[in-house]
Amino acid sequence: MRLDPSSAASFYPPKFKKLRIMEYFIQQFVNGLTLGGMYALIALGYTMVYGVIQLINFAHGEFFAAGGYVGAITLGYLSGLGYMQTHPVLCLSAAFVFAMAYCAYLAVGVEKIAYKPLRRESRLAALLSALGMSIFLSNGMMLTQGVYDKIYPGEMFQGRFDFGTVAISYLQIMIIVLTALLLVGLNILVFKTKIGMAMRATAQDKTMSALVAIGSNKIISLTFAIGAGLAAAAGIMYGLYYGSVRYDMGFIPGIKAFAAAVLGGIGNITGAMIGGLIIGMVEVFGAGYFSSEYKDVFAFIILIGVLYFKPTGIMGENIDDTRV
Amino acid sequence: MRKSVVSILAMGLILVPFLLVGTVSAKTLKIGSLSPLTGPYASDGTDIKNGVLTAISVFEEQGGIPGYDKIELYAQDTSCDPRQAVAAANKLVNLEVAGAIGAYCSSSTIPASDVLDEEEVIMITPASTHQDVTERGLPYMFRMCGRDDAQAPAAARFIKEALGAKTIFIVDDKTTYSQGLADGVKKAAKELGIKVLGHEHVNQGDKDFSAVLTRAKQENPDVFYMSVQGFSPAAMMTLQAKRLGMDSQIVTQDAVFQPRFMEVAKEASQGVFLTYGYTDPTTPEYKAFEERYVPKYGKIAAYATYAYDAAYTLLTAIKAAGSTDPAKIKAEMMKMDYQGVAKRIKFMENGDTGSNYIAFKVVDDKFVPYWSPEKGLLK
Repeated sequence: MRLDPSSAASFYPPKFKKLRIMEYFIQQFVNGLTLGGMYALIALGYTMVYGVIQLINFAHGEFFAAGGYVGAITLGYLSGLGYMQTHPVLCLSAAFVFAMAYCAYLAVGVEKIAYKPLRRESRLAALLSALGMSIFLSNGMMLTQGVYDKIYPGEMFQGRFDFGTVAISYLQIMIIVLTALLLVGLNILVFKTKIGMAMRATAQDKTMSALVAIGSNKIISLTFAIGAGLAAAAGIMYGLYYGSVRYDMGFIPGIKAFAAAVLGGIGNITGAMIGGLIIGMVEVFGAGYFSSEYKDVFAFIILIGVLYFKPTGIMGENIDDTRV
Repeated sequence: MRKSVVSILAMGLILVPFLLVGTVSAKTLKIGSLSPLTGPYASDGTDIKNGVLTAISVFEEQGGIPGYDKIELYAQDTSCDPRQAVAAANKLVNLEVAGAIGAYCSSSTIPASDVLDEEEVIMITPASTHQDVTERGLPYMFRMCGRDDAQAPAAARFIKEALGAKTIFIVDDKTTYSQGLADGVKKAAKELGIKVLGHEHVNQGDKDFSAVLTRAKQENPDVFYMSVQGFSPAAMMTLQAKRLGMDSQIVTQDAVFQPRFMEVAKEASQGVFLTYGYTDPTTPEYKAFEERYVPKYGKIAAYATYAYDAAYTLLTAIKAAGSTDPAKIKAEMMKMDYQGVAKRIKFMENGDTGSNYIAFKVVDDKFVPYWSPEKGLLK
């Protein structure tokens, strides 16, 4: 602690130099990258589902929250057994695996129950069903997990590196690296594998892809599962980074990620990643250089501005075969 | 058609005796509570509800109120949302409660009190510290806790005298309470010659404070004053501040007086100072409360003690008045002068009970009294 009132009321060590302009920028850049990475992971789920069945899955934010909870429960259980202290990285990996698997399973279930029966109905029906599912899942989490913030285990990840006056925490590094890995992995899956090809084919034309023996139901389930898995990963990162999770935590990041997906061009994977990073950056730089009070306003001004000049988003909505 | 109408009427008649029996034999005294039971401030709101429930059970054990078989609490959820608070207040009016304890957020208490006061329902807030709560000339508005126009100068004096700070950076989250208090601290700090390096606002419900904290870190103030509505944003802000390597002393206020603050912020919470009303934990009243409350609801937090005192005061006044007529209850309340759990209870003309803010320091999982305006550093 810097202040020691008991020794002398006005004793202060000499102040360190103010963060220089460049270092301030770098610090805010890292902050923005962390936030933007999490938004990008969530945005992918919106965009992939939209690409395949043209549905805005409003329950997607809830997969993110559920992932955060499953991660918290797994880590809590493992730390109760004492493994967390001895093998933190292993425990964290287990949390990611469980949460992503659980949410993938949950999303497939949600799709079967709430969206599949409505696939031939109007889009509005499916949209309303999605809203209902969102409320149902959010309240379900409230009833089973309580209304309080659930505290995230993981004190051991709280350290940081100091580069001059720029502080980068282990968690920020972990989030940025892991997000990058997941994004690269997704790109390989979608653009380099047969499954990815099937997904892109289904997105382009369901009837035609069915004619060449691609099971569209399977592909739709898979899309939901991948999107929810990525959101679950973001949920764990979010919980670790902010120290707690709560049943309604999916709402605001869900809205931001949806905005990111639209900004990048809904239905476009690369667009969602770029959109997420932009929203995160604009928010942080808006708060860092102008006013933290209006940070959300900056993010949405960018969104409106881009949509005004380019209604299909930065990367465009339907770029032939890159759409999912 | 006619037959069915007749049979429905006949069935209705069967119920009549039950209704009569219901009203005659079990006479229930209804009291209400208003506090956030869901949302970010749910823990604080539940503390208030639990405090009131404890008061009711104590009161019933002591013989209850003559003429009533039981006392029932109608706990309403405000979610710290002004609209929901007004709806909850209207519901309590319709339930014809004898009085209401609440709300938690000043931004809920003020609009809810307009509704309750118009219908002449006594309202005692255990937790809303904004000065306007009792400054609007409402006859049936009372307050158990202190006021921000006492808290802000006490905080500024603490920052100046005990911490010897020369510069301060203030952040609030734009609620009636947090912004009012932040403005008060800013004004009082300026008067004491402390330089205010910045005053930033964040939004309620924000979780990411990295940008504003980086800004505060760049200004490098002696004291970082954090004015937020509850322990949850406070814990997140503290955690992120420490992670960013900000080494300014963090000072915060009464809404953070919640042991869950230390559970969430963990090591980062250590050494944080906050201002909160002084409660003597050695009085027999406090010990009796502790013995009842802790086994049932866990650690005593935030405003549970004040909620207990508010409910106990209300029930005592109803018993003494021998009626639920608000004017009579008020007359009894104004006569009171007794030692409660949290403080000595004696109402002033405007419904306040006075402020007694001191500074606490977070040490391990406890808030330790550290400094008081009268005595300086407490050993």
